[in-house]
Amino acid sequence: MSLVARHLEADGLPTVIMGCAKDIVEHCGVPRFLFSDFPLGNSAGRPGDVESQALTLELALRVLESAPAARTTVQSPLRWSDDAAWKLDFSNLERMTPEQIAERRREFDEIKAIAKSKREAS
Amino acid sequence: MAPAAEHDVPIPYMQRTREYYLKLGYPAYRWAHFADVPFAPLTTPLARARLALITTAAPYRPGVGDQGPRAPYNAAAKFYRVYSEPTDTIPDLRISHVGYDRVHTTADDPNTWLPLAQLQGAVKAGRIGALAPRLHGAPTNRSQRVTMETDAPELLRRCRDDGADAALLVPS
Repeated sequence: MSLVARHLEADGLPTVIMGCAKDIVEHCGVPRFLFSDFPLGNSAGRPGDVESQALTLELALRVLESAPAARTTVQSPLRWSDDAAWKLDFSNLERMTPEQIAERRREFDEIKAIAKSKREAS
Repeated sequence: MAPAAEHDVPIPYMQRTREYYLKLGYPAYRWAHFADVPFAPLTTPLARARLALITTAAPYRPGVGDQGPRAPYNAAAKFYRVYSEPTDTIPDLRISHVGYDRVHTTADDPNTWLPLAQLQGAVKAGRIGALAPRLHGAPTNRSQRVTMETDAPELLRRCRDDGADAALLVPS
């Protein structure tokens, strides 16, 4: 998505990204970015929380209007939970047993094979 | 104000994923990385601007497996070409085809990845002039080369055809 934002912007179309993967988006380099420090999948706000979804959009719109230069990141003040322990879980090998790792590997191979056959058929 | 825990920082996804793939025996992925970043100022006030919405969510398709809340990663639900859907209703778009955080989120509220209802409200409230008549879907399972050479130009063309003044991009 960062690559798309860059392409639109290079053609003169202003963009703002709403997202949760701060390092990946900033590593690519984008014009404007509203970062929510939430689990991946919640770029537009917290589930079942209309107020958080409204605030997330409003912040993104303000970033779109007021960013002074490229690589402007604004972090939403919202927190996923008071306890930040959820951040330790994502793809964290230290928290997985050898059996879980083997299972993930099997799943990954299966997913890759499906995606490959679909891509070739498309 | 109490100090925060050491681990209370944005998740280092690139580092986690690198270590993860290495352990699984796969070669390291190279994320896109540029020194220069383009910038186009917004020249139309938002209250008069037409905003495009771009998503990585996928249209729901019966027959390609579980795409609902808590669905396992579903590669069969992926799409490989840019698609468009009208923005005057709420299309049924899902995220089972991407690697969202399946431990800490369930994907049971589409408003967490598709801010279309909020955008419709913002138009009604006069915060945004208008929504482009279509939202556009960006494929997620292509090489960076295909994204840059095929998908991004197609998305740009559709935004221009719709007369958009700016675009909101929401990866899931």
